[in-house]
Amino acid sequence: MIKRLPLHTKILIGMALGLGFGMLCIQFPSMSGFTIDYIKPIGTIFIRGLKMIAVPLVLASLIIGVANIGDISKLTRMGGKTLLIFIVTTIISITIGLSIVAIVKPGHKLPESTRTNLMELYNSNAAGKIDFAEQVKSRGPLQPLVDMVPDNIFMATTSNSAMLQVVFFAIIIGIAMLKVPKDKSAPVIAFFDGLNEVIIKVVEFIMLIAPYGVFGLIASLMIEIAGDDPTKAWELLYALLWYSMTVIGGMLIMMLVIYPLLLKTFSKINVLDFFKGMRPAMLLGFSTSSSTATLPVTMERVEKHLGVSEEVSSFVLPLGATINMNGTSLYQGVSAIFIAQALGLDLSLSSQLMIVLTATLAAVGTAGVPGAGLVMLVIVLEAVGIPAAGIALIMAPERILDMVRTMINISGDAAVSVVVASTEDAIDEEILKEHVND
Amino acid sequence: MKKLPLHTKIVIGLVLGTIWAFASSYLGWNEFTIDWIDPFGTIFIRLLKFIAVPLVLFSIINGISGLSDVSSLGRLGAKTVSAYMITTFLAIGVGLLFVNVIKPGSHIDETQRIKNRLSYEIWLQDNNMGLSQDGQSFLSDPEYSKYLTDAQAEREMSEQERKDLEDKMTKAEQTKESSPLKFVVDMVPENIILSISNNQLMLQVIFFAIFFGVTIVLLPKDSVAPVVAFVESINSVFLKMVDIVMKAAPFFVFALLAGVVAKMADTPAEVFEIFLGLGSYSLTLLGGLFFVIFIMYPLILKLLMKGFSYQDFFKKMSPAQFLAFSTSSSAATLPVTMECVEKGLGVPKKISSFVLPIGATVNMDGTSLHQAVAVIFMAQLHFIDLTIGQQLTIVLTASLASIGAAAVPSAGLIMMIVVLQSVGLNPAWVAIIFPVDRFLDMCRTVTNVTGDATVATLIAKSEGELVPDTTG
Repeated sequence: MIKRLPLHTKILIGMALGLGFGMLCIQFPSMSGFTIDYIKPIGTIFIRGLKMIAVPLVLASLIIGVANIGDISKLTRMGGKTLLIFIVTTIISITIGLSIVAIVKPGHKLPESTRTNLMELYNSNAAGKIDFAEQVKSRGPLQPLVDMVPDNIFMATTSNSAMLQVVFFAIIIGIAMLKVPKDKSAPVIAFFDGLNEVIIKVVEFIMLIAPYGVFGLIASLMIEIAGDDPTKAWELLYALLWYSMTVIGGMLIMMLVIYPLLLKTFSKINVLDFFKGMRPAMLLGFSTSSSTATLPVTMERVEKHLGVSEEVSSFVLPLGATINMNGTSLYQGVSAIFIAQALGLDLSLSSQLMIVLTATLAAVGTAGVPGAGLVMLVIVLEAVGIPAAGIALIMAPERILDMVRTMINISGDAAVSVVVASTEDAIDEEILKEHVND
Repeated sequence: MKKLPLHTKIVIGLVLGTIWAFASSYLGWNEFTIDWIDPFGTIFIRLLKFIAVPLVLFSIINGISGLSDVSSLGRLGAKTVSAYMITTFLAIGVGLLFVNVIKPGSHIDETQRIKNRLSYEIWLQDNNMGLSQDGQSFLSDPEYSKYLTDAQAEREMSEQERKDLEDKMTKAEQTKESSPLKFVVDMVPENIILSISNNQLMLQVIFFAIFFGVTIVLLPKDSVAPVVAFVESINSVFLKMVDIVMKAAPFFVFALLAGVVAKMADTPAEVFEIFLGLGSYSLTLLGGLFFVIFIMYPLILKLLMKGFSYQDFFKKMSPAQFLAFSTSSSAATLPVTMECVEKGLGVPKKISSFVLPIGATVNMDGTSLHQAVAVIFMAQLHFIDLTIGQQLTIVLTASLASIGAAAVPSAGLIMMIVVLQSVGLNPAWVAIIFPVDRFLDMCRTVTNVTGDATVATLIAKSEGELVPDTTG
């Protein structure tokens, strides 16, 4: 009976059980050590497995994707369209974030005592990230473009945060394969085709342990947030509730207003079908808080259940996982203003505009790895002159919001891929009809 | 000269290298040896090492993708792991037997041992660790008080030694802090290319390769055919590279040995001094290692296999063994071990390519035997009587340590610190055995490699897939 349950139901059960188990551990602190030692590793293994396959997947699927397009003008047209939609949705999401935070003003509701507590708690942690951001900030405006070109492609593939370089390299290789005579490129294409096949199968296997991995992740997250003091957990969470609600509210607007609007305007897909088909990927994104780790599943859902052709999905989604971060940019906008409010700073319109710009660029440079968004937030804060140490304030709900915003990032990527596919006439209606509810 | 078999040539290289090292140190040419001959030894190890990772990756994928049935892999895996565990425990048992019978630590002057004991108890007091494991206190015994000042004086270490030790202690500390399931988590690569680019992450490469191979088996043949063909041909290219490198092995081994011995000491007298100083310890350990190599492994094979030829086994394995001795690295020897086991002992590729890389990273029979002997030797040296129960604790810690050792460079000594700490002995004692360690490491590696080959043969036999090569 357990075997028959669809994967996303199992993941959801894993999440619920993990939540319950985490609560139980907080009530009975003696269990916490056991959970951290023996249950958390399952989650860690699961995430590592997904990370392991991320680079080969991007490399193989993108090379094959580009090579299969077979028409370079189509690639550039599609690429231009994709980038344009990415940038527009990113700007929209930041604007929504800035507006909602200005209306709700969550920063004014933060109690003083909680703030100092949090400052102390995360001080050393925040300090390290500030150092790093300092280096990033001192670069020129075109640095992201320069950074996209790998110094050494093998070096780039050894680091998950240099995914953009891998994407760049894969696109170039794909284009180059199109430009050489067919008979010369055939063995290479055949090899990457087979490799891609194997890698996608590997992803399927890794997903088999997803419910257990998710259970471990959530249970250990609860313990790490609350320790053994339940009241502390509630106090802390309540103080940050307003802030979190603001972020989540903004994201809900993205999800329930902007994306449906986008899908309605540019594609024929039913909005409900879209969310039904994407549910497993969104849930996984929520629990892993890594769009890179979720990428394999996102691709599978978009291709096999929404009927988007592989050409489009293998181009749009890996690119989206690294450069399109609607949730992250919205989060950065809200967080920056929240910290400013909490520290009693008033931000002018021009500095708010600055936030939009920096956050957009930062989103481009942020790889789909948990935690990278925080580094970029520091850059945003510095850009508008808010003390970056204020980041300690929002560190506590960071993980939870990271989960939510990853979900938004993923839905955003998927929505864009559907839109691009629709305008390219690359949606298989039959797959959509038959498999959307699987 | 051309007709000599490879292993004979390697032995000649080995002997000549040692003779050269002694002669050159006698004539004062040590600098020349280290500057102009030793680099070739390093080149040799590098050649073997750069082949090792791709070979592991592609040979595992190739071996597993050739399986017709993946379920046999689970059985194979279980067998491999249990066989490695059993041989490791046996090796430790041999070590304990030898060290308890020979008692190498009690062969030195009694007064010195009492002084050692006193300084150990002072150390215990300094660290608030209570009484020693055997529950006695020499400090409170007035009979020994006359040695106390001497003992205190000897506790002073030189600056260099202290720095060396602190370095190793921090590494040991890091190893100890990790959660019990850490090594399982660490087996899964975070980024496979990163794992491939780091020889210390071999276990992650193995994990990925097995996973990848299994996936290939489960996919339809025609869709993965290009990948299989690519892996197969690149694998044979790397195997050929091993062949080519091995043609020059005698010369390289000569260079390696000349360099190693030349670096150990300046004059032949010094070399002998090093060995004499720890003679009984080295002899016990060597005795144990040789017992495992020449008696235990053949005995296991003889018991479980009909028609096992003692002579044949060692003749076929000798190139790998000599190589292990001269490189003291089972990873560097791996390409050659695989060749010896496949072509010489007739173990099919799909088994050897699975069993041997795992063995090279997790099976450390020689290393764990060394742990047991060394720790108990040090206890004896300090007049500490350990009961069998305490010794068993050491056995357990040591064998666990040997698994974890895979990831740590120059792991032996660092793991020794972990073992010493876990049984409440002074980790600073590893300094006692530093000097001879390089040489003993060479012998340990031979044991490790022979153990890997033994297990590979056994598993091939139990799967009924052993195809003995009759051409000799």
